[in-house]
Amino acid sequence: MKLRWLLVVLLAGLLSVVRRLSRRARAQRSARTRRAEPGDRRRPDRTSVICLIARREIRERVRSRALLVTSALILLVVAAAIIIPAHNRGRTTSITVGVVGVAPASLAGTVQRAAQSVGTTAHVSSEPSLAAAERALQHKSLDLAVIDDQRLEMLAAPGPTDTSSLAQFARSLAAQLGIARAMAQAGLNNQQISTLYGYRALPIASTGHGPSPSPRNATSILGIIVTFVMLQQYMGWILMGVMEEKTSRVIEVLLSSVRPLQLISGKVLGIGAVTLAQAGAIIAVALLVGELTGSSVLHGASPAIMASSVLWLALGYFFYSWVFAAAGAMVERQDQAQAVAFPLSLPIIFGYVYALVQTSATSISLLTKVLAYLPPTAPFLMPALVGRHAVSWWEFLLGVVVDLASTVALARLAAKVYERAILRTGTRVRWRDVWKERGTGEHPKAPVTKAL
Amino acid sequence: MPGVLSMRGLSRRFGDVQALRELSFDVPAGHVTGFLGPNGAGKTTTMRAIFGLTELNAGTVTWNDEPVHEGVRRRFGYMPEERGLYPTMRVGEQIEYLGRLHGLSERDARAATASWLERLGVAERAQSKVADLSHGNQQRVQLAGALVHEPEMLVLDEPLAGLDPTATDEIGAILVERAREGCGVLLSSHQLDQVEDLCESVVIIDHGALVVTGRVDDLATSGPRRLVVRVEDDRDARWARELAGVRISEVGAGQVRLVLEPDVDTNVVLDAARRAGRVTEFSYQRRRLSEVFREAVR
Repeated sequence: MKLRWLLVVLLAGLLSVVRRLSRRARAQRSARTRRAEPGDRRRPDRTSVICLIARREIRERVRSRALLVTSALILLVVAAAIIIPAHNRGRTTSITVGVVGVAPASLAGTVQRAAQSVGTTAHVSSEPSLAAAERALQHKSLDLAVIDDQRLEMLAAPGPTDTSSLAQFARSLAAQLGIARAMAQAGLNNQQISTLYGYRALPIASTGHGPSPSPRNATSILGIIVTFVMLQQYMGWILMGVMEEKTSRVIEVLLSSVRPLQLISGKVLGIGAVTLAQAGAIIAVALLVGELTGSSVLHGASPAIMASSVLWLALGYFFYSWVFAAAGAMVERQDQAQAVAFPLSLPIIFGYVYALVQTSATSISLLTKVLAYLPPTAPFLMPALVGRHAVSWWEFLLGVVVDLASTVALARLAAKVYERAILRTGTRVRWRDVWKERGTGEHPKAPVTKAL
Repeated sequence: MPGVLSMRGLSRRFGDVQALRELSFDVPAGHVTGFLGPNGAGKTTTMRAIFGLTELNAGTVTWNDEPVHEGVRRRFGYMPEERGLYPTMRVGEQIEYLGRLHGLSERDARAATASWLERLGVAERAQSKVADLSHGNQQRVQLAGALVHEPEMLVLDEPLAGLDPTATDEIGAILVERAREGCGVLLSSHQLDQVEDLCESVVIIDHGALVVTGRVDDLATSGPRRLVVRVEDDRDARWARELAGVRISEVGAGQVRLVLEPDVDTNVVLDAARRAGRVTEFSYQRRRLSEVFREAVR
């Protein structure tokens, strides 16, 4: 409950910052329009310069076909992830059980009980011979066969980790047939047997603490996947956008009037606004589709899980965007961009895969908790923990604070790298070049390697 | 308001290369100043230093005695040697954007963009992407980006490179007009005849150091006498090579330009020319900027 309120406060704070920035820029714009005579020029403050740069980024991205295509693809995948399970929920495939030879009178009832215990249905079919039953298994007209009330036969016996409905059913049926034989051997009469089968399981109560008894949470999985896809996409945009400014040499014109930090901040904020808008559209579509289909994927998802995914997508974006912007300043060609992007993407890939595994793990390890606080992996691990109700509000808040503090420190470092690398043209700038003493840097006409 | 851009003691080292050596000169407002020097002389580094795009090891750049900081630079226009525009952005939006970054309001930026694109003959391409324009038109758009905010100082690195003669004349006229309206213009170029036509003053540097600076007229009338002699059917001016105190400056187009030492008698030169053939031209001429340049960086 507290976590939900915390998320509401954090998201409201994020929206408030965005609104305040845009209101301030609007006020400055209208003040200038009111006061300015034609040709009158006033020095723009830093915020409005950043807003101008961000506006250009938003306008160019919104116009690009890439945004439309990727948005459509992501929306399709999300809609499919909601619709398909909802559709399949109402279409349970019945399991066909063949019976060969002698069978107890209670077999049909036992089969039904085994089917109910795993949430499926089953029906019994009488087979004339073992050979006929085996042929039917081969042709998949039978799922399993009970041979002379002695053994079960299947095309492939289920392994201990097989969690499919058929495997669970087979294990349940085998156990129940064994119990029925044991009861018969114990000499119990039908009434006694009926009493035994009429048992009622004891209820299991939740204390409200610890991991969810149903660890796999579809909403948090969906959130992790969307975060991964969007981070990959937007980091590519940042990297290529910075590289384009360097390659086209427009950077020299821009930096003659604005500071590097303003330029990189405007780019990060502009693309960030597009990210949030796209995430908002995805959530809106997910909610709408979920509501229309009565999907169970979103049914169990509290708003806290979705809000947490959006918040961590934003935090992840702002953390990684600085890194990729600095990397973009060091390259001039597509192949160089790929070479520099791959190692930077590894924490994203690791966090994504590890978080997906954790959504179905039986317990939460210390490593998982630690990774949930580390900014490179937190955008995936923290929503995973939220999905499992395995994080308290103060732990969540601590994660946000650690991430924000790291992002601020990283932004300062990345701005320095960007500033030192962006005007060095001719060849790829290496990390060691960036840290070399200032004042020995780029020669405007010489390759960097020579100049350094 | 008339002003002056002053470079004082600029020094910049790139590893083993000393790009600028205590370079000092002024660029007054209201003038077109040519910035000349052979390749690698340090022109681009100097221009970048004005905009803080390269760090200086020593020296200062001031505008009216005020250090050139971010706010001052916004009142300058810059056209770098390596042209730079967003290739997929529309021309009109791009110029408007640059105007706004320099402090123009949205309305003024839009009006100035329309006006400059019209003036530079690319108004009909305002909705085109920059990448779709020809080299010449991209050059015009680049210049519009430097002019859109009515700068007090224009710093243009090779603004005439790659332009046809008509475009060169048009852009040259615009630069002169801006200067007449009080803007300072510093332009580098290797097309010395055009610089001579456009510029009131020149600054010539070599190996990062100042070699010559002054008004074009003063430089043209200073130095030893120049004599232009045209002898019919004479292509190599062999007759002038043996004359004492006479140096051949240029040979071409059927004429020879001679540089005379003070004590040379021009009658001796005329006699030598007559012996080579019929003399159709024999006149004193001003020193060309190309000669000033060659003599300065020899």
